[in-house]
Amino acid sequence: MTVTSLLVPALRATRRNLARRHPKVMAALVIGGLVVALLLYYGLFRFLAHVAKAPMLGPIIGPMIGSLLVARFLEMIYLSLFFMVVFSSIIAAFSSFYLDDEIRLLMAAPVRASRIFWSRFLMMLAESSWMVVAFFTPIFFAFATALNAPGWAYLVFPVYLGMYLLLPNILGGMLALTLSTFFPIRQMRKVFQFLSALVLAAMIIFFRFLEPEKLLNPKYFTSISSYILNLRAPALEYFPSVWIQRASLTLFEGDLHGSLVTIVPLALTMLGGLVLLHLGARFFYLRSWQASLEAVENQVLGLEWIRHVLIIPFRWLQRDFRVVAEKEVTIFMRDPAIFSQIFMMAAIVFVYGYNLTILPLKDLPSLYSGEINDSMVFFNGPFIGFILAAIAMRFVYPSISLEGRAFWAVKASPLQPSRLMWVKFFFYLVPILGLGLILCFISNQVFRVTNDILFWLSYINVTLMAVVITALAIGLGALYARFDADNPLKIAGSFGGFVFMILSAVYVVNLLILEAYPIFRLYFLRFYPLVQGSGKVFIILSFFLLIVCTMFWVYIPLIQGKEAIERYEPD
Amino acid sequence: MNPTDPVIVLADIRKKYGEFEALKGINLDIRAGELFGFLGPNGAGKTTLIRILTGIIQPTAGRVTIRGADLQRQPEAAKARIGYVPDRPYLYEKLTPREYFDFVAGLYSIPSAQAQVRGEEMLRRFSLWEWRDELIESFSHGMKQKVAMSSALLHDPDILVVDEPTVGLDPRSVKVARDFFKELVRQGKTIFLTTHTLSVAEDLCDRIGIIHRGTMVALGTLDALRDQAKAPGSDLESVFLKITEEEDLPPPANPA
Repeated sequence: MTVTSLLVPALRATRRNLARRHPKVMAALVIGGLVVALLLYYGLFRFLAHVAKAPMLGPIIGPMIGSLLVARFLEMIYLSLFFMVVFSSIIAAFSSFYLDDEIRLLMAAPVRASRIFWSRFLMMLAESSWMVVAFFTPIFFAFATALNAPGWAYLVFPVYLGMYLLLPNILGGMLALTLSTFFPIRQMRKVFQFLSALVLAAMIIFFRFLEPEKLLNPKYFTSISSYILNLRAPALEYFPSVWIQRASLTLFEGDLHGSLVTIVPLALTMLGGLVLLHLGARFFYLRSWQASLEAVENQVLGLEWIRHVLIIPFRWLQRDFRVVAEKEVTIFMRDPAIFSQIFMMAAIVFVYGYNLTILPLKDLPSLYSGEINDSMVFFNGPFIGFILAAIAMRFVYPSISLEGRAFWAVKASPLQPSRLMWVKFFFYLVPILGLGLILCFISNQVFRVTNDILFWLSYINVTLMAVVITALAIGLGALYARFDADNPLKIAGSFGGFVFMILSAVYVVNLLILEAYPIFRLYFLRFYPLVQGSGKVFIILSFFLLIVCTMFWVYIPLIQGKEAIERYEPD
Repeated sequence: MNPTDPVIVLADIRKKYGEFEALKGINLDIRAGELFGFLGPNGAGKTTLIRILTGIIQPTAGRVTIRGADLQRQPEAAKARIGYVPDRPYLYEKLTPREYFDFVAGLYSIPSAQAQVRGEEMLRRFSLWEWRDELIESFSHGMKQKVAMSSALLHDPDILVVDEPTVGLDPRSVKVARDFFKELVRQGKTIFLTTHTLSVAEDLCDRIGIIHRGTMVALGTLDALRDQAKAPGSDLESVFLKITEEEDLPPPANPA
């Protein structure tokens, strides 16, 4: 049996899942995805084309420094991409190599373990990288266009990107193999705690490594020459991100031969990695898989006291709300796969907070500082929305799927599906809204907002975003529920999770568009008295539309999710 | 509702999966205090019917009434009267049996104390009391089955629906379950069970229905089934094989 024939069941399942979607929904998603990709491509292209010229530094120095900035930016993207794929590939590898049910069947069949391993590796590769490829391809093409790459470069580039993406997947696969040799995979608490700490540390160190704030400001350097030298020096000299960055830049300049020479270290490392992984799979895969079958250690974590504290507030709520909420808290605290993501989320919040602290607000001319600070408060809203959506994708979106195969107990009970949806909605709304308001409070303190309208509007916006994001996460989580999935990351990284992130972004755009006129009139033209009736009508109409739209954004996903739960037929 | 009225009424229940018709118009009345056995070969439609009966899935057509409450129009009232034990006991693995009982009690709006007392009684009956505070994920299939059976009885339902009660249970537990079913029937409860263990059905059931390819092909007491199969004095196994053999047809093209 070949590796590809082992993939046939998974390919058929994917095709069946896609065929199950309504054609109109699929068409809307494809078109929506393409529009987002085009916007991303065009917006970044314009930005890069401007940065590449750096007109503020003059016609001679400007293009020189500009091209260095673009090159450094490209390197940063490659480096971030590497870490992102490493992490997601490790998580995907656990499921793909060890925890999926069908592996038992495959292992019992007369098939070589290394072949099973490579078929699972390909599945892991697809799972950990498809979203990254979809999101980053327009970004890299924007670089190519901004650097005037020839047409054939767009065809060669995907080969380079493919090789580059293989590397973190190979590393992820090796790490998963190694970890499973030392830790029993079904007691993943320690593994995940270890991984979480690793990722958190990696992100923090990585971020400090780059010091991106300095790159955008020559003032941090003693002379322009040291600034240029710093821009030229790669963040990590012998790291694959530097190899692919150099190869890409050479390719985009139209030098195919030069780029092929530059990509050689990457290609050799990739081939070496594949050989090592093959050897690792040959010697350790079967053994580590057998170890993964060990009985589960019956562990109640040492965090039980936190669980007891967390469930206290629900004692006074209605009985059905209380038991569902207590179950959510209990499973959250006892399942390391869910709990450990707190570290990832903490890292995102840390990076956000760090970004706020390094903003050069004190360097602004005093005449404009108030206005710019105030405007920042308004435009900061979408960033908070993004953080809330990222957190909701990992914790709220999977909550319906995580009912798992035990969901029959709820379906057979008198508890109505709509009640379950509302209970989950309010349960998750509280922490999402709380976090949003805390982030809003911190950013308002940093920006020292002076305008009352913008001050209060920032809190209103965060509240609306929190409500809509929670409703979308619960509703779409039910609509695209995967009751058979074994870990929340797999659920969050699925098609439905992608739809959730897209729709969350669309709502944020919806909110900004509807508030654009009121902000323009009430803030930027605040010194002109509002005497015209039409202006007042437009402002009232904008806010009215915002409320109506928000109600739809909450109602429609929840009602769709409720109907999906009612239709759902457990195995 | 009149005491002599049937507690379960299935009227022309049909279920289609795409073009495949899993149930082709099932009609059945079950009286209070009856232990009804529902038999059939693999893929005959037993589990589909049980899931419709417990409100887990919706029929394509037909009506289910539980003690006078229409399952589709008054699902809460109907479901509150049923306890259900599935064939595969998927439970919330990160909870302990006691926590699971508390959760189920909340779903059925019964007081926590009542659930705990009833849960203790059930766990002791099934020799699981020592495991009450261990995570369910560490339990064997049979232990999970016992937890599922215990939780189905927490709200003291009038009707117990059991899908394959003996699968995964050790011989002692099978005996405990059998005796317990008899005890429940003596208390006036109604039990609807499916099983492939024909000796269990023969020993326990007042009436037996045999389903084959989505159609009820036989219904009645064991003697009535013997008459239908023209096999007087035969055991249930022979009767079952004869009836399903006569009805045998080529397999369906698309069983999903």
